[in-house]
Amino acid sequence: MIGEKSVKFKTKIKTRIKEIRNNLCLSQQDLADRIGVSRQTIYFLEKGKYNPSLTISFKIAEVLNRPLNEIFYQEPIIKEELNEIKYKKPYKEVEDFINTQGIDHNILFRIGDIDEEELSKSFSKEFLEELAEFLGYKFDDLFIDADI
Amino acid sequence: MNEEEFVYIGTISRDYVKKEVLKNNLILVVYAVVVSIICLYVYFEDTGFNFDLFLISIFTSVVAPYVAIALISALYFSAFVRNFTYKVQKDSIVINHGVFTKTRATIPYRRIQNINITTGIFDRMFKTFTIKIETAGHSAVSSGTTRRGIGPEGYIPGLKDPHIIENKIKEIIAKISTTPSGLEDKIFKPEQLAFDNFISYILSKMREGEKLKTSIRQLREKAKLSAVMLAEKVGVPIETINYLEEGKYNPSLLLASKIAEILDCKIEDLFELA
Repeated sequence: MIGEKSVKFKTKIKTRIKEIRNNLCLSQQDLADRIGVSRQTIYFLEKGKYNPSLTISFKIAEVLNRPLNEIFYQEPIIKEELNEIKYKKPYKEVEDFINTQGIDHNILFRIGDIDEEELSKSFSKEFLEELAEFLGYKFDDLFIDADI
Repeated sequence: MNEEEFVYIGTISRDYVKKEVLKNNLILVVYAVVVSIICLYVYFEDTGFNFDLFLISIFTSVVAPYVAIALISALYFSAFVRNFTYKVQKDSIVINHGVFTKTRATIPYRRIQNINITTGIFDRMFKTFTIKIETAGHSAVSSGTTRRGIGPEGYIPGLKDPHIIENKIKEIIAKISTTPSGLEDKIFKPEQLAFDNFISYILSKMREGEKLKTSIRQLREKAKLSAVMLAEKVGVPIETINYLEEGKYNPSLLLASKIAEILDCKIEDLFELA
């Protein structure tokens, strides 16, 4: 694999705080009080708009009594973008993109779910560049072009 | 248009015509009196101004315009009332008006700021009311009357029972602007935000003393990586790694998870709350 080009997803941190909190019957305020942060912080954390510091993350894990990797997980940025595409773009534009690129409907929407090894095998860099542009991003915003 | 969208359709009272005609006649009477006094003054002062000439001047400058204007205004306002309808719909109020130029003004409830009910002296004589619906911006186009260039966007004059329409609009606005059930705890009130900011400031001050214990160095040496190599892989300056190893820096979760990924361990193995 040395010298071969490979493409990786850029990821962002998402949380399951809300689900776990709801299971424990805690309100945002309850959780905020126990961790020792403001309710706003919890709100933005749940919305995924805030990259918490490690100390806060540890405290959340402690209060919710779950391991860190169960509460926080990384998800490709492109996954959320593809999920939201139907709200952001008219159906016809998506249809046109699929037709011009000659790919299957289901494959397009599952790009966020496939393995990173699969990613560079199944799709050319040119296609991913087009896809990023279609989603209104630059290639570097969604993918990492890494040498192995 | 969907049948269900209509909630209430109304027209305005014919008393509006009487009121406007009376109002215009009063102004005309004042005008007639003033002109007559001038004519009388000229008649008594100027000997060349005989009685026939006086009658003619009174007729041309007082009676003829009076009758013409009164007639035209009566015709105009009865046409105005005939052409004026309003519909209180589910999401907007629609006002159709105009004698010469037909206008159809649609005001969405979301944009309504307040509703004024006014009743002037002449209005009170005929027991009619005027509803003014004010929105954030003024525009002459959607204004209810053609006479006033710029006024409230919704202008419904000559109403006998303004409270019906007022209550209807208020009811619908209340329905639109209330928080949907289940979302109450997700919306911050201003006083909560101020308190929140204060608390978070105090807490952030308190947290400054917290320290993290870390075993990055041990794990890094176990993986046979130098600090420089690790910094390069993570994509941060070497100083960051140094600070982290000394426990002087509280990393973000993203950074911590990157390091954990590279060193192939859990975040919990790397860091520990002191």
